[in-house]
Formats: sequence, structure tokens, C-alpha cells
Amino acid sequence: MAEFNVNKHEVGSVNVLDLKGYLDAHTAPELEREFNKLIDDRKYKVVVNFKDLNYISSAGLGVFMAYVETMRENKGDIKFSNLKQDVYNIFDLLGFPMLYEFYEDESEAIKNFNEQNKD
Amino acid sequence: MNSTFKLLKKLDDTQKLKISVFAAIILFGYKIVFPASLNIFVMLAGELLVLVTFILWSNYLIVLIKNRINATLTILLNVAILNTVILFILKLAYKLFDYSFVKPENINFLESIFNGFLAFIVIVSAAYIFEVIETLFYLKQKKEPKLYFNLMIIMMIVTSLTRSITYLGFSAQFLIDAFEAITISLIVMNSFRVAWIAFLSKSEKIKLLALSIILIVLFGTNTGVTWLNESFPLYNFSPGFTKFLSLLMIYGIIYFSVVLFTTLFHIPTAGAIDRKTQELSSLMDLNKLLNRITDLKELGETVTKMTGKVCECEAAWLSTFENEELHVNSVNNIGFVEAQEYTEYLRKIKTSEAGIVTYQNDELENSGIKIKDKFNSILAAPLNIHGKVIGYLFAARKNEYNFDLDDENSIAAFAGYAAVAYENAKLVKESIEKEKLEKELDLARQIQHKILPKKIPRFNNLDIAASFIPAFRVGGDYYDFFELGNNKLGFVIADVSGKGIEAAFIMAEVKGIFESLSKVIDNPKELFIRANEILSKTLDKQKFVTATYGILDVLNGKFVFSRAGHSPLLHYHNGEVKKYIPKGIGLGIDTGNKFSSFLTQMEIKLNNDDIIVLFTDGVNESQNEKFEDFGYERLEKIISKYNKEDANTLSEKIIYEITVFSKNNIQHDDITLVILKWNFNNKSFGEN
Repeated sequence: MAEFNVNKHEVGSVNVLDLKGYLDAHTAPELEREFNKLIDDRKYKVVVNFKDLNYISSAGLGVFMAYVETMRENKGDIKFSNLKQDVYNIFDLLGFPMLYEFYEDESEAIKNFNEQNKD
Repeated sequence: MNSTFKLLKKLDDTQKLKISVFAAIILFGYKIVFPASLNIFVMLAGELLVLVTFILWSNYLIVLIKNRINATLTILLNVAILNTVILFILKLAYKLFDYSFVKPENINFLESIFNGFLAFIVIVSAAYIFEVIETLFYLKQKKEPKLYFNLMIIMMIVTSLTRSITYLGFSAQFLIDAFEAITISLIVMNSFRVAWIAFLSKSEKIKLLALSIILIVLFGTNTGVTWLNESFPLYNFSPGFTKFLSLLMIYGIIYFSVVLFTTLFHIPTAGAIDRKTQELSSLMDLNKLLNRITDLKELGETVTKMTGKVCECEAAWLSTFENEELHVNSVNNIGFVEAQEYTEYLRKIKTSEAGIVTYQNDELENSGIKIKDKFNSILAAPLNIHGKVIGYLFAARKNEYNFDLDDENSIAAFAGYAAVAYENAKLVKESIEKEKLEKELDLARQIQHKILPKKIPRFNNLDIAASFIPAFRVGGDYYDFFELGNNKLGFVIADVSGKGIEAAFIMAEVKGIFESLSKVIDNPKELFIRANEILSKTLDKQKFVTATYGILDVLNGKFVFSRAGHSPLLHYHNGEVKKYIPKGIGLGIDTGNKFSSFLTQMEIKLNNDDIIVLFTDGVNESQNEKFEDFGYERLEKIISKYNKEDANTLSEKIIYEITVFSKNNIQHDDITLVILKWNFNNKSFGEN
């Protein structure tokens, strides 16, 4: 019923995941596959672009919780960008902004990764 | 007439036998009194009695014959024996008495008694013989050409009765001859019903050949004996029956002549038919065996193993479609890797959607597949279900004989059975899984039901209502009240991430944590920090729990609460609804110290008629047919509108509005609603 897909592209050393559609218990495994591939390829800097994501359920949120530790342990991170207001509200209510970085735009998130690199 | 026959057929065997014996005794008695008579009424009454006795015995004997008709040869042997008996006792009668010039009035008592016994044996034997032929006539016939057979019976009776009348001195020989001619024509027509011969095995057919020769000889001899009507021993007893007997004997000759020739023609092909039948029955056995296996893996192994029995082949394997790709499912006498290589190679060179495909030596030579002894021919039969190919069964042969048409047909039939069995096994597996899931959901619902509070506490100043609507898949909502003493009421509303049995187990854990912590920590923030420590250790990385915990002083309305990632808390006060979202991360999301440093605690003082509304996201995320959320605003409006109502009524109004709003969409998540209404000095509540 609910459509979901993930597109991946690289900007320098940063990997951007573009999410589209509905991220729930049924579609979460698809996102998990992408994260597993990134870890297999030792790519730990991830920006998730939510521009086309319409809905996220608790199972969808769980995906980021499951992988963020591995990314951070390897000097990477998961950063979020381009969230629609109602999607952001879900993150906000749960206190995610305290634990993850949120950006208005993908490019800002990438820039932030690159600045960290210089340090 | 018809109803009389139906009644006769309904009787059980003993009743039939009793009534038949009874008829025979009456006939016997009658014939002692009137051994023979030229009086028309006496004579016709006697003939009628003979007919009735014959019919009754036929009616009794046909059941015995039908029950044993599968042993056709034994039944025919009985016919031969009875013929011999008839021949023997007729010959005996000729020896004992001189029948050549017996006049009705000259019959002595001894002769009457002898004739009575003679007649009894002959009538019963004739009834048996007649019913055997009738049963054979109808045996293995697809259509029942009743008309000709019944017409023949009628003509036999008519001819016989005409004969009876001539006994009285009427000259009607030409009539008898005419009727007899018609009867014999009908007999010839009916004698070609010999379909049952085809179903005999080869050895049975050979035996039948010998038996039919014996039967022709016996019927022929008896025809000769019964033909001389007027000097026949039973002529005076019943002239009509004498005629009937001779017609029956003629029927016997004709019928068994046809049987003899038919059998003769069948014998050359009998061996081949036997083999086909055997193949067919072994296919049936395989089918039965296949249908007993419901495990997919075992089924695949059995199918490949049995392929060798269906046709001669050294190796076999089964490939089925998974995600539109053919994968080897099971193998016999060939490795998985080789089987997969062959499958892919064969599909490349030649395919057929629905039919069977045979690959010959020249096509296999260049496969490049490394295998010890190369296959000379391979047969691929599709597994068809409702016109859809779900896989292929491969049979491979090493010797130089290619698979022939017979092999193809057998394998095709076997593959058909295998396909059905495979589909059944898959359905069984699916239904077992579905049942498991349903049981699991049942269990989850039971757990949830046990976890939620049975009773809501009551206080003078506080009106409390709680509503809970479970989703089909248990959503993991939880609420509870804790009476803490010192006029303090603790309460919690929580939502566990995930669904089903897993969510139910986490709920149980959460209940345990809140129940025990609420007793020792009287500060919501501290309680959450401790709860987060515990849950962070036990929850899976991707699981979390949102909750709001509050403590209310039921004497003065002082209300302290914290929110761990949960939905907002609504507070109705003096005509407006305030939405409180104090900072707080969901439980189990952060394992470090950010949780505690971020978490805040709010304190408010409730005034008279203030309402506190707690809920889970099932409320605001309820959707209508346009997939719009119910949202917070609708909820706030309803609270404002019904603020004068008591907590229960308000709760009912909210649930009603949600139900109406989302009536055209599925409820995805549990819906929980807890309402507290502060009624200071309102003595009407909970006085006791």
C-alpha cells in the first residue's frame, strides 16, 4: 500500500540517503538494508534527506537509533535535513533534536561534516 | 406394478429369501394339486405362479451376484456349474420317466413330486443364470440402454406365454415363431454389451477364453435338451417356462460366443493394457503418498526420488520459481550445483511454457557442465497450477535410449500430481503461519488486558475517566494509577514502540518499572531518569517508550509531571486549552546523560473545573478517508465544547468524535485517553 524508497548519492565523503514516501514497520527493512550496505562499505557519514518523506512511524525512527551508535563510533554520524514540519514534530516530540543534528537543507549538513573533518 | 418392484428391492436379504421360499412352496403345493390341467384358468394361474417365483428368486439372487461381480470369473464358473446341474437333472429325469407321450391326466403323484423338485432347481438356476447375464449387461456401461434389455425381457415373457396358450390346444405356432424371432434379434443386439472384458487382466482374459468355450458347449447342450418342447420333463409342469428356458439357453450361447470372440481379440493387447493400468495405479499410489507430505522440503526430496520409479532415469531434480527465478529445490543422484547449471543451461537452449520438453544428446553435448557421466537425454516437465508454471521437474538418463512418448506422458502426469501436492504443502505452511500469528496476537491482547488497571481510583475532589480502544495488532499503549499515600495519586500513560507480542512484553516490563519506582521515588523527573537507566539496558536499540508521569495532590490540586517524548498534555482552564510539552526524550532513546540533563519537570496548580487530558498518538493520528490526521485542534475543540460534562461523558464524546472521523479508515494504533477533572469542594463526587 504505502510506497517507500531510498536513493543514495555521494557528495565527497558524505553519503546522502533520499527518503521518499512512508517509512513504517513494513518499509523500515529497506532502509535497514541501505544502512547495512553503508557499514559494509565503511561509510559512516550519512545525511538523511527527508524532502519527500510524508510519514514516519516509531519503527522508522528505530532504524536511526539502531545505526547511529556504529556511525559515531567510527567518527561518522547520521544527520537529518529537509524535514517537513509534521515529520519534524514527531522527532521533536521524542526529543531527537537533542541527540541528532537537524538541518534545513542537505548542503548545510554536508558542510557541517566537512567542517568537522578540518578539525 | 412399478411400486411393487420398488418394494421388492427395498426388502433386506433374509426377507427376500423368505418370500422367495414361500412362493416356491405355494407353487409346489399348487402343482401337487393340479399337476397339469387343460382348464385355462388353472393353467394360467399355474404359469403366473411360476413367473412370480422366478421373479422373486431373481430379485434375491441379483444382490448376491452384484456383491461379488468383481470376481467375474467365479460368477461365470457358477453359471457353468448350474448349467451342468440343469443338464444332469434333466438327463436324470429322462432316465426315470418316459416323457414322450405323457398326457396331463396321466401324471402320477410320484412324478408330480419329482417334477416339483426338478422345477424348483431349474427355476432357481435359471434365475441365477439370467441375473448374471443381466448384471454383466449393465457392468462398466457408461450409458444404460435399459430399453432394449427390458424389451427383450418382455418379448421373452410374451413368447413364453404364447407357448402356454398353445398348450391348451390353440394353434399359434406362427405367433410363437414370430415372437421368438424378435426375441432372438433382441438377444443378439443385447449380447454386444461386453465392455467388462476390457477391464480384466491378461491372465483373467485367458481364463475367460477357456470358460466361455465351456459355457458355449453347456448352453448349447442345454438348448438341445430344452428345444424338444413337448417331450421335455417340465413341459407339463409349465409349458411357458420350458420356452423361457430354451430362450435363456440360446441367449447363453449367443452371449458367450460374443464374449469368446471379444476376448480372443483382446488377448494380444492385454499385456500392454495391463502395463498401462499398472503404471496408472502406481501413479495413483504416488499421488496418495505425495498428498500426505505437507513439509515442502520432504516433498521435494520424495518427488525427485520417485521420479526414478515413474520412468527409468538415473537422476532427477526439482526447480521451482522464487521471485521469478528458477532455483533447484531438491535433487536425486546429482549435485545441487550441477542441477542448477543444467537448469539454467536448458532454459537457455529451449523452453516451453506449459508443455513437456525433451533434450537430446546433441543439445546436451555442448553444455560445458562438468559431470562424471554425461546425460544422454533430459526431460523437463512443467509443474502447472491453474495454468501457471510454478517450476519444473527434470529427469535425466545416461543410457543411449531417449525418453519416449510413454515416458513423457508418465512424467507429465506425475509432475501434475507433484504440482498439486507442492501447492497444498505451501498452503498448509501459510495457514499454519497465519494461525501462529493469530495465536500470538491473541496472547498479546490477553497480556495487554491483564496489564491495564481493572479499577480506577476514586477521590472526593477528582473525577477520573480512562478509555482504551485496542488496535487489531496490539499497539503497546499502557496507562496506570498508583495511590501513593499522603493524598497523592501517581499516574502514567505510555506508548511502547512496535506492535504485537513484542510490544506486549515491553508493556509488561514498563508496568513493573513504574509500579515499583512510583513507590520509592516521589518525583516524576527522578523517576523517569531511573526508568530510562533500566530500560536503556533492556530495550533493543531500535525500541523506545514514550510516557508522561504525573503526581497529583488530591487535597490541594498541586500537580507535578514530566514528559518523556510522549504526546502533549492538555490542560483546560477557564475557557481555553493549554498544550504542555515540557522537554524530555523518549525512554530508551538516549543511553547517556543527555536524557537527564534535558528532562524538565512542570508544576501547575489545578483550579476548580480544570481538566487534564492525557492521550497516546493513536488519538491524534487517527485518520479519515482522505488520510488526514485527527490532530490536536479537533481534540482541543471537543474539550472546550464539553468542558461542563463529567470526565466520563467528555471521554465518551471524544471517542465518539474520533470514531466518526475515522470510520472509513483502519485503526492502526491503540487509542488511549485518560481524563482527570478537578472538582474541588464538589461533594457530589465519591462521598463514600
